[in-house]
Amino acid sequence: MSGGFALWTRRYAAMIRNAWLVNLQYRASIVLWVLWGVTEPAIALGIWWAIAGDGAVGGYARADFARYFFGVMLVNALTIAWDSWQLDHWIREGDLNYRLARPINPVHESLADNLAYKARSAGTILLVWLIAASVWPAVRLPLDPGRWALVAVAVSFAAAMRFFISFTTGLLAFWTTRATAIMELHAGVAMFLAGRVAPLALLPPAVATIAQFLWFPYMLAFPVALLTGAAPTTGELILGFGGQVIWLAVWIAAYRLAWQRGLRRYGAVGG
Amino acid sequence: MRDGSRMTWLRVVTAYLRLNIAEELQYRANFIASLLGTLFWIGTALLTLGLFFRHTTRLGGWDFWEVVVLLGVFNALNGVIEAVLRPGIGQLASEVRSGSLDLLLARPVDAQLLVSFRQLDLWRITDVVMGLSLAGYALARLHRTPTALQVAAFLVALAAAVVVVYAIWVALMSLAFWFVSVENLSVLFDALYEGARYPVTAYPAALRFVFVYLLPIAWTTTIPASALTGRLGPAVALAAAAVGATAFFLTRVLWRTALRRYTGASG
Repeated sequence: MSGGFALWTRRYAAMIRNAWLVNLQYRASIVLWVLWGVTEPAIALGIWWAIAGDGAVGGYARADFARYFFGVMLVNALTIAWDSWQLDHWIREGDLNYRLARPINPVHESLADNLAYKARSAGTILLVWLIAASVWPAVRLPLDPGRWALVAVAVSFAAAMRFFISFTTGLLAFWTTRATAIMELHAGVAMFLAGRVAPLALLPPAVATIAQFLWFPYMLAFPVALLTGAAPTTGELILGFGGQVIWLAVWIAAYRLAWQRGLRRYGAVGG
Repeated sequence: MRDGSRMTWLRVVTAYLRLNIAEELQYRANFIASLLGTLFWIGTALLTLGLFFRHTTRLGGWDFWEVVVLLGVFNALNGVIEAVLRPGIGQLASEVRSGSLDLLLARPVDAQLLVSFRQLDLWRITDVVMGLSLAGYALARLHRTPTALQVAAFLVALAAAVVVVYAIWVALMSLAFWFVSVENLSVLFDALYEGARYPVTAYPAALRFVFVYLLPIAWTTTIPASALTGRLGPAVALAAAAVGATAFFLTRVLWRTALRRYTGASG
């Protein structure tokens, strides 16, 4: 399938280039979205900073909180997906129609958009981090290529999972007008279970245990811990990557089901 | 504004209010959705607070129920933002871009008034009711009955807070006259306003300075909540009123300057 691979590379190169050029017109808007993504962890950091004082909370001292929430900012920017809003719009406004007429599944367009957007937004955050790290030793990370390679893999899995969660939730617009509200609900739960408000170790133990059996920690907390925490044990790595692979598979299956069923329904309404 | 126009603007506001009520009553399902959304929001905010207080007994010197009073004030103000500001002045950026602002400017009523009150999302007023109820419940848990003077100081401070929030929106949205391509300016507000969820004393000194003086969001939640719990004396209401009046005056100046620029550009 080497011919197929070359074809897909060319397709993706064209779509990402296109999305990148479209984004270029909205540079200022993207800066605002980045700022919006940064304030939530910044405020959480401010509060934990005050609570930790000169001591430590659940093993986290001030510098650990700083590293953790800088990690949240970066990993969040690298794994974020807006697709449920876009799909909701496509489905309700009928913009999906001409996309279905193209010889390529619209999911590829969304994926290319997502990658182009992240190249810009995550690049901005990385730059902010480098500037912060040059003046603030607390947020510096050890240069360990092996660890960074693991982080790259974990972030890729997390990004793929969040993309399919967002896309699948957006597909619910085939059935309901409140698909984006469901996504907001998901974001509200993720605040706690994915580790946005606090490292999972600071949650009540029962809640943290329940979280381990859901997909939330694997879409943010696990890659962040890998990036900023102590060196992981083999057991932690197996558990973390295992959870990522299993839940990614589940969400891809959910996407395929929702896409097939939804399209049948959509066709019935339009036809 | 010309002489005798006061009656006119009162009539305009009531007319828009009546129109909006008639319109919104058609969408009663939105009321339930909005109510559930608010309940969910208050739930996550309380859980977040509970999480912080698992590891501390005070936040910036405030205890749990005091911060809940503040959260109630935050939620009430959020109701005003979602009901009035976002659907009204929040649309300014896209109207400058599309040019539909011209239609409003051509009308014989003050343009700032029209832009601010023409569209309301009335169901979100439930947020105001629920926010104030939450603050009341938290006060009861504190076993603190505010005196009449404290309630009066709170109401003045809350009114000033509404004016300050309004002023911040006008200031942000006026940026659209200079940077036409930025459509999501309201995101900037959402980002900044996150900071108002907690007492300003909980933040490091530098951030505190920003929230009190540069972007005066501390005046919108911390000050009214302090007036209600008696943390600050009733005299603070006078300071709040002064800050509110200054903020309003500044937006008026900014609005006129911005509009002059807009007219200049299209003419």
